[in-house]
Amino acid sequence: MNSRWLLCLVFIAYAGVPLRAAEPKRKLTYEQDIRPLLKAQCFQCHGEEASIKGKLDLRLVRFMMKGGVSGEAIVPFDHEESLVWQRVFDDEMPPIDKKLTAEQKQLIATWIDQGAETARPEPETLAAGLEPTDEEKSFWSFQPIRRVDPPKVAAADRVRTPIDAFLLGKLESKGVGFSPDADRLTLIRRVAFTLTGLPPTPAEVETFLKDESANAYELMVERYLNAPQYGERWARHWLDVAGYADSDGYTVKDAVRPYAYKYRDYLIRSLNQDRPWDELIREQLAGDEMVKPPYGDLPPADIDKLIATGFLRMGPDGTSDPSAEAKLAQNDTIVETIKIVSTSMLGLTIGCAQCHAHRYDPISHEDYFQFRALFEPAYNPAKWRTPNARLVSLWTQLDREKAGEVDREIQKINKDRASEVQKLMEATLEKELESAPKELHASLRKIFETPAKRRTAEQLKLLKSYPRVNITPGNVYLYDRKAFPALTKRFDDLVAKARAKRPPEDFVHALTEIPGEVPVTKLFYRGDIQQPRQAIEPGEVAVLTAAAGKPKIPVDDPDVPTTGRRLAYAKHLTSGKHPLVARVLVNRVWLNHFGQGIVNTPGDFGKLGEAPSHPDLLDWLADEFMSQGWSLKRLHRLILTSTAFRQSSQRDPKVEAIDPDNRLLGRMSIRRVEAESVRDAILSASGKLTPTLYGPPVPVAPDEGGQIILGVDNRDGAGRPTGKRGQLGDAEWRRALYIQVRRTFPLDLLESFDAPLMSPNCERRTSSTVAPQSLIMMNNDFVVDQSDVLADRLMREAGNDPADQVRLAWKLALARDPQPEQVSSALRFLKEQEADFTQQAADAKANPPASTKRKGPAVKRDPTRQALASFCHVLFSSNAFLYVD
Amino acid sequence: MPDITNTNAISTRRHFLASQGMSIGSLALTWMLHQDKAFAAPEKPPLERPVYDLTPKATPAPPRANAMISLFMQGGPSHLDLFDPKPELTRLSGTNFSGEIKYDNAGQASAKLLGSPWKFRPHGQCGMELSELLPGLGEIADEITLIRSMHTGVNNHGQSINALNNGKIATGRPVLGSWLTYALGTEAQDLPAYCVLTDPGGLPVIGVDNWTSGFLPSLYQGTVIRPTEPRIPNLNPPPKLQGRVQRRYLDYLDQLNHEHLQARPGEQELAARIASYELAARMQTAAKDALDISKESAATRAMYGIDDPESQEFGTRCLIARRLVERGVRFVQVCTGNQNWDHHGGILKQLPTMCHKVDRPSAALVRDLQQRGLLDSTVVAWGGEMGRLPVIQNESNIGRDHNTYGFSMWVAGGGFKAGYVHGATDELGHKAVEKVVTHCDYHATLLNLFGLDHKALTFKRPNGDASLVDGQEANVVKDLLA
Repeated sequence: MNSRWLLCLVFIAYAGVPLRAAEPKRKLTYEQDIRPLLKAQCFQCHGEEASIKGKLDLRLVRFMMKGGVSGEAIVPFDHEESLVWQRVFDDEMPPIDKKLTAEQKQLIATWIDQGAETARPEPETLAAGLEPTDEEKSFWSFQPIRRVDPPKVAAADRVRTPIDAFLLGKLESKGVGFSPDADRLTLIRRVAFTLTGLPPTPAEVETFLKDESANAYELMVERYLNAPQYGERWARHWLDVAGYADSDGYTVKDAVRPYAYKYRDYLIRSLNQDRPWDELIREQLAGDEMVKPPYGDLPPADIDKLIATGFLRMGPDGTSDPSAEAKLAQNDTIVETIKIVSTSMLGLTIGCAQCHAHRYDPISHEDYFQFRALFEPAYNPAKWRTPNARLVSLWTQLDREKAGEVDREIQKINKDRASEVQKLMEATLEKELESAPKELHASLRKIFETPAKRRTAEQLKLLKSYPRVNITPGNVYLYDRKAFPALTKRFDDLVAKARAKRPPEDFVHALTEIPGEVPVTKLFYRGDIQQPRQAIEPGEVAVLTAAAGKPKIPVDDPDVPTTGRRLAYAKHLTSGKHPLVARVLVNRVWLNHFGQGIVNTPGDFGKLGEAPSHPDLLDWLADEFMSQGWSLKRLHRLILTSTAFRQSSQRDPKVEAIDPDNRLLGRMSIRRVEAESVRDAILSASGKLTPTLYGPPVPVAPDEGGQIILGVDNRDGAGRPTGKRGQLGDAEWRRALYIQVRRTFPLDLLESFDAPLMSPNCERRTSSTVAPQSLIMMNNDFVVDQSDVLADRLMREAGNDPADQVRLAWKLALARDPQPEQVSSALRFLKEQEADFTQQAADAKANPPASTKRKGPAVKRDPTRQALASFCHVLFSSNAFLYVD
Repeated sequence: MPDITNTNAISTRRHFLASQGMSIGSLALTWMLHQDKAFAAPEKPPLERPVYDLTPKATPAPPRANAMISLFMQGGPSHLDLFDPKPELTRLSGTNFSGEIKYDNAGQASAKLLGSPWKFRPHGQCGMELSELLPGLGEIADEITLIRSMHTGVNNHGQSINALNNGKIATGRPVLGSWLTYALGTEAQDLPAYCVLTDPGGLPVIGVDNWTSGFLPSLYQGTVIRPTEPRIPNLNPPPKLQGRVQRRYLDYLDQLNHEHLQARPGEQELAARIASYELAARMQTAAKDALDISKESAATRAMYGIDDPESQEFGTRCLIARRLVERGVRFVQVCTGNQNWDHHGGILKQLPTMCHKVDRPSAALVRDLQQRGLLDSTVVAWGGEMGRLPVIQNESNIGRDHNTYGFSMWVAGGGFKAGYVHGATDELGHKAVEKVVTHCDYHATLLNLFGLDHKALTFKRPNGDASLVDGQEANVVKDLLA
């Protein structure tokens, strides 16, 4: 929960602002060279806030010349006489652990010695706080999206789409070009994993190989784009960005969110239907504002709009846990939501301006609270709603009436139960009194009848000698182990019977506003919720308004029942003029095709992010995407049919020397499949995969040792497993996308292969190579069991010839045929492995081992099958399986 | 096979695995993920996230102890029948108790006092009085400190466990073992820093939260070593795939991967993964070796009671605990089964059974560590979360109810005094009255032995710095120190 916040703090401490060593030839200017580093390390005390330390304002050179209480701060042409330089040189300033680097100090000295010049005359007046300077406003990602025609290139024959021309333009300028096209087997596996996250089946491969038409490749792409698994795969990408989880996180309680999955299903459905993303963005940010409250008897399209706002409910929310400090937890919920929205939609780390102006990007403290004001009518700190209170019921009026009737019936049953318990307590008392002297009976009875808090000292004293008289509804079961359980069961049954008549209630996990509630957002001084300052109205980050204009965000729109703030903002974002939204989105799509983005920091298009490798291409794609109706599938086609995507992944030493990181895309990069695909591909090959789409997640739970497994959480209140695990049936073999995301219960196979821990979201996955992944591939029950399942499939489908079995295994797992020498070495392996398994079986017969308990029915040991399973196990563990060329 | 040491250079481009404070994680994996530094080097070190690791750390003060084994007697062993002889209680046995008592179970409550049915006698040079149920402990009386004045003051199992484990009554805070590994790292490179050996009789009350790292990064959580195979999940192949067949699996895999790599020259990540399989195999061997007691001598095994069916299982785990500490593991907790010491009834039969199970192995652990020269630097602690009441619960099947106001535990080694009895309960053994040691005092004292300061060992939280004692009064009990 706090790691990103820490990260943000570290940004402050980080001295790596892209400053070059002072180039003596160039004339340094304040705006370009000095202000960024003073802004990062000094402005908080010297300019940004209302109270200025030592009355020294560093925001203008003029102010520095004037100086503060210690006199003038700079003496042009003489850095040694300049107070600013003296203070930072001696490390007196800044008074925090992180000092200026020697390089930065040198830069200041050089600038002063050159005369402390500014780029242009400084403004006559300066408003309080920090306005973006011209230098800051001119940063690339804040400029309007500009469509440029693709360049003319020499290798025109390699240009299949305009994308290729942009990429070739750069490659050719370095004297290189694209790699040759990859072969068909490589291509289909690449496309299948890219679009569906699954390996191609042998039938799919065969169809593609046999297709002799000129557009066989395009047809193959089309087949995968139309597969329902496409929506699953690409929903997963957006779920990372949205921080999707089926639990609240924040504290160890980590309560389950039983209805969050509908948002996941909404994405799958929308992607498969190729719904336009401008619509999806509007629905995710403000779907509730498009539906008229109160939310009852809704048609499906309106329900979908509410479900879409689940996007804004994905962040950790600990406000249902009493152990969390309520005000802090509420604030953190908003803070995390702002991080998710800003990094996912805008590619900006607006969250860094929570406590002070962003150190590196021109995002002021006020900007942060303008942005926050968009969400406060829904996340109203004054009238906070806990997660359950935010659920929107899907009951109709009729359902409600029926439920009311049932509730009254249950109340009646419970009243009867209470009076029966009272009778039992009285009977118990009579029995207990038998062991006390007669003369005390009256007093003891009196004690029993007196409520515990009103008992006299004398009564309490007597009770000490007869503690068993202290019978309560809560402990009466301890006296009579038969009557109480019988009574309980009788009434529980009655309640259960009544409850069965209640219409099942279904909910939407949504963000909504309560009409009429319009909170005033206040700026928190230094981010401290205890120190609210001036009121702030909703609005767009100032520096972005240069490109897209200043949107009219109402404080409370009279035309809609809600405030209309998010709706207005969402319309602004999707107006087609916004400088970031489309760039950020197409960059993510690109990233998930090539393994790296045009901007390789997809959640940060600011100064600390990476610069685009191909800015013209990024703009062209963003413009094309919008003018083609924000259709993701069109964008896929554009990318997938390019030469760039079809290249071989072979490294060419000549290109390597120029472009070792493959930023210019002179070849395809080899990529490890993602965590979910490791599991899904194994199930797909073994034939066990359950293809069901949608629905509540497959539960996860800790087992007796605390290891997280698939299964119903069966721990009792004391944290002990109760042994009732329940059967998952085929659900156990569903795609990993459907496995419950409990923030505190990551599944080891997925976690170790870099599935994100949602705190709060994941802008870009890492792809690590660590030994625990190998241990899982070697030893994990799932992998071992599925190897057995694949072996059985081979024996069933390939007949008895081991060579045929090997060939089919290769096709199922690796989507290609093995070379003859690969078959022969596999057969050798099978033979040797079989001999050892046979020996093992003989040894076991001679010396039966102590019982080794494993799940499932005892399988008769068949060395041939065991050897085949071991072979399948090798294929699953192999790089050929885990990587896509 | 590429040399493992080369893979560091190969994999410098791999992304750093950020530790995530919120995650409880998959237990066995977490330590491995972080041990595996060779493959986790940062791609570039631009933004200095706080980095958490398990490398050995220096302490503010010179440490006396560098490892700890906690023998966790969950349920609450009766101090009155094991450690704390009360002649007055014996004298008044059968009469009604006139004082104030908090019962957990009113339905079976009685005020009738119960003198211990078992005899006590002095042991060792120090003359420590111990019950006849603990003959093994009697033999090491001169090596231990017996604390007769423990106090947590919260009468439920869960809350009192939490108090002794994590400093407060709430569940989910980081436990002692997590704080120690957070502060000290580990000396064991191929093994978990913090191991929990669970009992076949089920997890202690509050389950896996007994070894949670809470808000500390998840690499400091305990790794469960199960009572049955596989003792560590994913570490070893299922039995049918062990030995030669696994070696051949690895060799054939290596062959395929090399063929694959040969066709893709320059793909360093593929080479790194090939090496990671070999590293995995090595970790497998190291942990397997630590858990394999078959090479221990017959005499050692007998000393731990492994020759006796009653104590065989617990003895095995005590011996494994020693093998882990010997290899540099920082903190080991050996559990007894769920509520196994919670003798509300049937104490006459069940208490001797439990003592039989743990007495010899526990004593052997101390003796064995001493003989190997490890006791001076290893704390051994034996105790539960509570003691029992001096009055009878359930006259038809005699037992004793909870008592957290006064109970006993023993500690040995690592700088604790030897042959020493600390504190006392009142004359009926109901409440600690002399030199009371609260759970916070106990924690402060333990941290002190490890060269740590309970006030300075903190972790940053949104509401300020958190610690094991977390602002509660806590004093290092100087009298306990040698």
